[in-house]
Amino acid sequence: MNPVAEPAGGLFRLSLKDALFIGFCAVFAVLARMMLRLHLHISGHAMLVTAFFLLLARGSVRYRFAASFAGLLAGSASIFLGFAKSGPFMLVKYLAVALVIDLAGLLMPNLFRNYFWCALVGGLAGGTKFFTAYSVNYMVGMDPTVNFQASLFEAAGAILFGVLGGLLVPVVLRRLHAYGVIS
Amino acid sequence: MYLGKLFSMRKVSLAAVSLDAPAPAGDAKWVGLRMLLALTLSCLAFISHSVPFLLVLTVVNLALLWYLGNGQISLRRELKAFVWQTLVILVLYLIRFQDLSGLWGGFKISWQLFLALLPSMVFVRSTSQTRIVQALNRIMPCRMAFVLSTCLKFAPQLLVEVRSIYEGQVLRGARILPRDLVKPWHWLDLLHCVVVPAVVQCMALAGNIALAARARDFGSQPKRTCWPGL
Repeated sequence: MNPVAEPAGGLFRLSLKDALFIGFCAVFAVLARMMLRLHLHISGHAMLVTAFFLLLARGSVRYRFAASFAGLLAGSASIFLGFAKSGPFMLVKYLAVALVIDLAGLLMPNLFRNYFWCALVGGLAGGTKFFTAYSVNYMVGMDPTVNFQASLFEAAGAILFGVLGGLLVPVVLRRLHAYGVIS
Repeated sequence: MYLGKLFSMRKVSLAAVSLDAPAPAGDAKWVGLRMLLALTLSCLAFISHSVPFLLVLTVVNLALLWYLGNGQISLRRELKAFVWQTLVILVLYLIRFQDLSGLWGGFKISWQLFLALLPSMVFVRSTSQTRIVQALNRIMPCRMAFVLSTCLKFAPQLLVEVRSIYEGQVLRGARILPRDLVKPWHWLDLLHCVVVPAVVQCMALAGNIALAARARDFGSQPKRTCWPGL
């Protein structure tokens, strides 16, 4: 046994290796949004990569708050890389998505291998866009009706792409499991 | 042609992400102050509802942009986003109020949202990544700051590896060229041929970095120590 190697992480303990893997997922979530130039003009398409990478981070390690950690890192990275369209609120946006995923992971630990549950959680995570968009617009004093419509419009796209992002996760996790990379 | 452009990869300058760029003058405290100033200006944009206040805030933001960026920062991309956002908001206000009287309110909202994002953009464009990470070390738990800075540092290397995986798979005949990805049923090939190997590569790299850090006694001290006295 390698004396330098760190003991594996658990449900409440995050090993450095797992933390770094989660960090890579977070950085990829930010970089993928920068690199993929989807001229779809559909609101919420960024949720595809956000939901995918946060679900992947949570599904690949045993740590219970892996998605929240990834969300925190992705939010910080996007702020400091200048990719935060809504400034410091980017952190809240990522954290809201991550909290839904972690909560779902706490309630159903095996959901990450199931297409239906992953799609559902991806959709719910995308649904947080409604609350974050509504809060930001509310703070700047937007008319409540317009705010509701605008937030709903943004959330509809985010839910759709969140579902798509969620559907991709079991495919990857099953392959990783088959290769013996994750237990 | 349009579809090819639809899925084209944007050329991201990795030098901008690199942590090795020469750091400008100023220490971590000054960077922290800038960060605080950007956050304060963003928050002020949310609570400013009167036009004079918004005008003052715009002038302050522009002065900051000029002072910190030495007149080198271009706002073209941000202005495009501002125009698009304004159009959407104005259309929604027009639908809501059925006349032109609501348009001014809609424009004001869009103006506020733009002022909320401008300070952080100015901060990031005018501060080197090295300085930002040094400032992060002061406000974040050291383990989290280490993870974030290490991942940002190794991201360009990982992107190069992902690119070589992609090129290797294309040479093997995988249908993952931009023209193939126009058809959604080819997206699964991208997942199997590129995403899965990239994730495996990520895990291997994370394991190697963790081992190297442990070999250098990372985590043995409660407070992180740095060389050479950052």
